[in-house]
Amino acid sequence: MKTDVLIIGGGPAGLSAAIETASRGLDVTIVDEASQLGGQLNQQTQTLRPLPSVYEPMRGFELAYKLIEQIKGLSVKPLLNHRVVGFYADGSAGITDEENVFPVKAKKIIVASGAAEKAVAFPKWTMPGIMTIGAAQTLINRDFVMAGREAVIVGSSDFAMETAMQLMAVGTRVKAIIEKQSEVSAIDQEKVSELSRNGIPFYFNSFIKEVRGNGQVEQIDIELPDEVITLNVDLVCMDGGRMPILDVFYQLGCSFGFQEELGGWVPQYSNTFQTDREDVFIAGNAAGISTQGPLLLTGMIAGISVSEELQAIRSAEANEMRETLWKELGLLEYKEVYSGRVKHLENFTSPILKDQFIS
Amino acid sequence: MHIEKHPVLGRQLLKPVTIYFNDQPYQAYSQQSVAAALMANGIKKLGVSRKLVQSRGLFCSRGRCCSCYMTIDGEDHVRSCMTVVKDGMRIYPNMEDPEVRREIDED
Ligand SMILES: Cc1cc2nc3c(=O)[nH]c(=O)nc-3n(C[C@H](O)[C@H](O)[C@H](O)COP(=O)(O)OP(=O)(O)OC[C@H]3O[C@@H](n4cnc5c(N)ncnc54)[C@H](O)[C@@H]3O)c2cc1C
Ligand code: FES
Repeated sequence: MKTDVLIIGGGPAGLSAAIETASRGLDVTIVDEASQLGGQLNQQTQTLRPLPSVYEPMRGFELAYKLIEQIKGLSVKPLLNHRVVGFYADGSAGITDEENVFPVKAKKIIVASGAAEKAVAFPKWTMPGIMTIGAAQTLINRDFVMAGREAVIVGSSDFAMETAMQLMAVGTRVKAIIEKQSEVSAIDQEKVSELSRNGIPFYFNSFIKEVRGNGQVEQIDIELPDEVITLNVDLVCMDGGRMPILDVFYQLGCSFGFQEELGGWVPQYSNTFQTDREDVFIAGNAAGISTQGPLLLTGMIAGISVSEELQAIRSAEANEMRETLWKELGLLEYKEVYSGRVKHLENFTSPILKDQFIS
Repeated sequence: MHIEKHPVLGRQLLKPVTIYFNDQPYQAYSQQSVAAALMANGIKKLGVSRKLVQSRGLFCSRGRCCSCYMTIDGEDHVRSCMTVVKDGMRIYPNMEDPEVRREIDED
């Protein structure tokens, strides 16, 4: 199979890159191992703001719908339930439907593989009933299944606060939020106060000491600064933060740099979102953990750069558009993340890791 | 428990299907993943770890951690969080590593 642009990952970043490239007449293929387009937006029921100026604030799944609407009628071929598992010597992507593997030859590749959640280790953290906050969100909003009746949440980021509220809305009793630091890590204080108003205790300087249960979590011990308390729960949601998914970049031989503010190891890229593999571009959380508005902008920039390389748009015009989008990125993105991104770009010509495997 | 009426998305569970876990029938809905459908029926233990034989269940729900491996319609080590249910699907817990060697077809 042949295509102008192969986009790996059909989340918000991949979709916005698809809109930019396909609307300029390029032939685009989006591969995603999930059974629907939209990536992690599909289970996000909260209202997202701020979004890039072309979008009104809307809920996550509505944004997914809006993005998918825009590729209708364009030359975009979605390959759903398909996974990229490697690359052939001639640069073709090896794509599997879990039965056969076939090559797809693309002029340019945009990798928008998203982020994975990190675990928080404590004794017996692998027991059923203990899961990431994202998994709990997927259960309730995508699968329409109660994740548990009585829960605690370990960690206090914005994403954790959001998940706590969504769990409560479907009838799960959130018994505590456990944070090892002395204050919440969430930036949005409104959600924190709302949870406090609902009587949910925040235990600071605290952690899970032990988990008990017969084949699944039934009881936990929480180590508070001056005592240990025991709670009966059937769900523990952990918020260990997120990191870019890098598999495809390893396979492509891209180089990496370490940037704490972007989530750890991140492929190196320039301000056009081109990696050091000339034909490979990057977008979304794979290029550094951020929020949905900025992620859309990264997809748009990558899409414009690829359109320029394939001569679907003139360089002068591409430069102008990129400049505007970068400005908007600076406005929408959290300060620390944006400055981490700028620092990361500066290392493009002198990457820390090249031709090495990190794990 | 299935969420019959979602606070934001309303009624979404429209097409019931029957799946079989350890040969027992359970009710699921067409858009659910195998792991989620089992959890709705109170089944959280989806398999055991290969060395210490500890219980394992859904952990990341996005195909990254492999904690949810199960045997689905005769195939071992399938990620049950990424597999959508089908009517009549036969599901067994993951109890050990699969047999990967196979007989060479002799014809
Ligand atoms: C379960 C979960 C819930 C989340 N909820 C929130 C939230 O409530 N609020 C928030 O701010 N952020 C949330 N996030 C973060 C989320 O990553 C971003 O909101 C946003 O969706 C990222 O966009 P993206 O396009 O970069 O990646 P994604 O939306 O993750 O899209 C990437 C896509 O690439 C596909 N993919 C990856 N590798 C391959 C491959 N080799 N072959 C084929 N396909 C591949 C994946 O299946 C996925 O669909 C969540 C993350 C997870 C994991
Ligand atoms: S729960 Fe992590 S791969 Fe299925």
